[in-house]
Amino acid sequence: MPQVGDLRAKMSSLLEALDKWLCRPITVMEVCGTHTVSIFRSGIRTMLPEGVRLLSGPGCPVCVTDQAEVDAMVRLAKRPGVVLATYGDMVRVPGSCGSLAEARASGAEVAVVSSAIQALALAGSIQDKEIVFAGIGFETTAPATAVLLREARSKNVKNLSVLSLHKLVPPVLRLLASDPMLNIDGFLLPGHVSTIIGTAPYAFLVEEYGKACAVAGFEPLDIMAGIVEIARQICEGRPAVRRLYGRVVRYEGNVKAQELLEEVFRPASVRWRGIGLVEASGLVLADDYSDFDAYSRFGITLEEVSPPAGCRCGDVLAGRITPPECPLFGRSCTPQFPVGPCMVSSEGSCSAYYRYSSKGVSPWGA
Amino acid sequence: MGRLSLGHGSGGRLTNDLIKEIASTFARGSGMLEFEDCALLPGGWGVTIDGFTVSPLSFPGGDIGKLAICGSVNDLAVRGVRPLWLAMSLLAEEGLDEEELLVYMRSAASVCAELGVQLVAGDTKVLPRGEADRLYITTCAMGKNEAISPWGIKEVSPGDAIIVSGPVGRHGAVIASLRYDIKLRELESDCAPLWPLIEPLTRLRGVHAARDCTRGGLGTVLCEWAEGANVGIEIDEEAIPADGDVSAVSDILGFDPLYLACEGTAVFAIASERAETVLETLCSHPIGRSAAVIGKVTEAHPGLVGLRTAAGGMRVVDMQGGELLPRIC
Repeated sequence: MPQVGDLRAKMSSLLEALDKWLCRPITVMEVCGTHTVSIFRSGIRTMLPEGVRLLSGPGCPVCVTDQAEVDAMVRLAKRPGVVLATYGDMVRVPGSCGSLAEARASGAEVAVVSSAIQALALAGSIQDKEIVFAGIGFETTAPATAVLLREARSKNVKNLSVLSLHKLVPPVLRLLASDPMLNIDGFLLPGHVSTIIGTAPYAFLVEEYGKACAVAGFEPLDIMAGIVEIARQICEGRPAVRRLYGRVVRYEGNVKAQELLEEVFRPASVRWRGIGLVEASGLVLADDYSDFDAYSRFGITLEEVSPPAGCRCGDVLAGRITPPECPLFGRSCTPQFPVGPCMVSSEGSCSAYYRYSSKGVSPWGA
Repeated sequence: MGRLSLGHGSGGRLTNDLIKEIASTFARGSGMLEFEDCALLPGGWGVTIDGFTVSPLSFPGGDIGKLAICGSVNDLAVRGVRPLWLAMSLLAEEGLDEEELLVYMRSAASVCAELGVQLVAGDTKVLPRGEADRLYITTCAMGKNEAISPWGIKEVSPGDAIIVSGPVGRHGAVIASLRYDIKLRELESDCAPLWPLIEPLTRLRGVHAARDCTRGGLGTVLCEWAEGANVGIEIDEEAIPADGDVSAVSDILGFDPLYLACEGTAVFAIASERAETVLETLCSHPIGRSAAVIGKVTEAHPGLVGLRTAAGGMRVVDMQGGELLPRIC
């Protein structure tokens, strides 16, 4: 970690560089929720020149979980004899008939885990119940679910299954890159997803759509360097996928993790909240693992469900509006009583706007 | 009205709303419900009560026994009240090992002995197995106000320096690391009685308010001050004493150390001309040796707390919303 005084000095020199490379106003989407939160927590928006517009993208795993998927989790949790295990932020997302937290308050068994493999221990210690692990997240958390499945199969665990809600980042980026309404000039690409998939899967953003791309880490300096890099590519008219997170991200990614994903999952078209059905953008269990598939074990199908009235999380996720432009923001939708997932998740952009910029009306701007 | 959620016990905004609801069902007494850490009674007495449900019962730096005393007496100390007497109620689960119970009682007793606090009343109940989680302790502490001027939210004024007595978030980070099985050898809870640190301040002028940053952490206390006194507060992230392990746990679990609980760390609002004296006094005590001025109270943006980030930007510090980590104290 750099010393703080040092950090401020380095930030100023990056801001000077940004001034130099900013030839025209640019719109940059930070794809990942971790970036969104870091940008707010470090106050980067209050430091950027006017010509840089930041859009928050669909990179918060909880936020993109479709209403039908939330409903399926709540229904499963309420089933007698079932313990639903999932990551913490998911618990408070309201479904059509309440959240997992509300189901838990009414007697449903919901276990919060911080890693997928904890579901295996649960299955061992609660043998008279069915443990269902709801796997959410992108290429970053999917390998952990894959390890869980592999272990469960090798140990022949009978009372464990997985409801895979995993999603893939590149397919949704194609959708955003091709949206003429958004007019995105460059993408700040997620560092941790890229450690798994490498940078090759982003090549189409440059080759087919001419977008500037920087794979960046999550510290304020990493993010600012990513924005400078995107401005430079735009100014020079030479878009590329540039790895700034080279200390962690390799071109080919983590091949072992990729093989694991290929063994355990297969891609499928899945629904993203507010964005709709995106082709080959989700992961379901491969045939070899179908014994552990919660969809077939419990006969679950995902129907199309409308989001809560007025909730515009979908538009927020696709960068079409900023959170304060949603009519519910800060009124009927707050972190205490969230309506949509973007307000629930600690990585959601609505929650970030609410918490870090005083409901979007901060005296310090942004 | 819905059902209570764990967020109602998190010490943040939901807790505040619930407390106000509960208080409103009682007839308002003679200024007793001030929403401070302890009540100041006629005759210069201070009283407070607190329930302890921490899980696990034992943690690096303390256990439920030590916590149950520190938690209550610290609520007195931050209003300048010397802790004198204690009443304690135990709710134990059938099957709890008696020797284990006595271990917790001995650590509670040792804090009382250190402070000269006497246990004067108590109650013990045993619940059938499964109807409680091993042991809950409630303590009621009483003492004498020794501050030469009143300390409280109402006294927080523009110009005041904000001082914090040590690295924030250590208790919350320890419990989180145990709960999520993250192994950090160095990290210990800051659980400690604050009276020895605070006592010398009772004789100083210019102390306007003090709070121990328990549930909800430093961030929540500052928000309560900004809203309660209708002032602005600006703090500098660079100046806040930090603990590397707390930052590590926070990074891994996505917590903000500003909201992690402390059990032996206090924040003070001090008239600017007295800030240096207070800081010297705090730094001369072992648990206050890394005390630092972290910001100031402003007339601008009343009700809002702003943070100058380490990167140099500005952002708002809002009160913690829902459940961060249940059963932390």
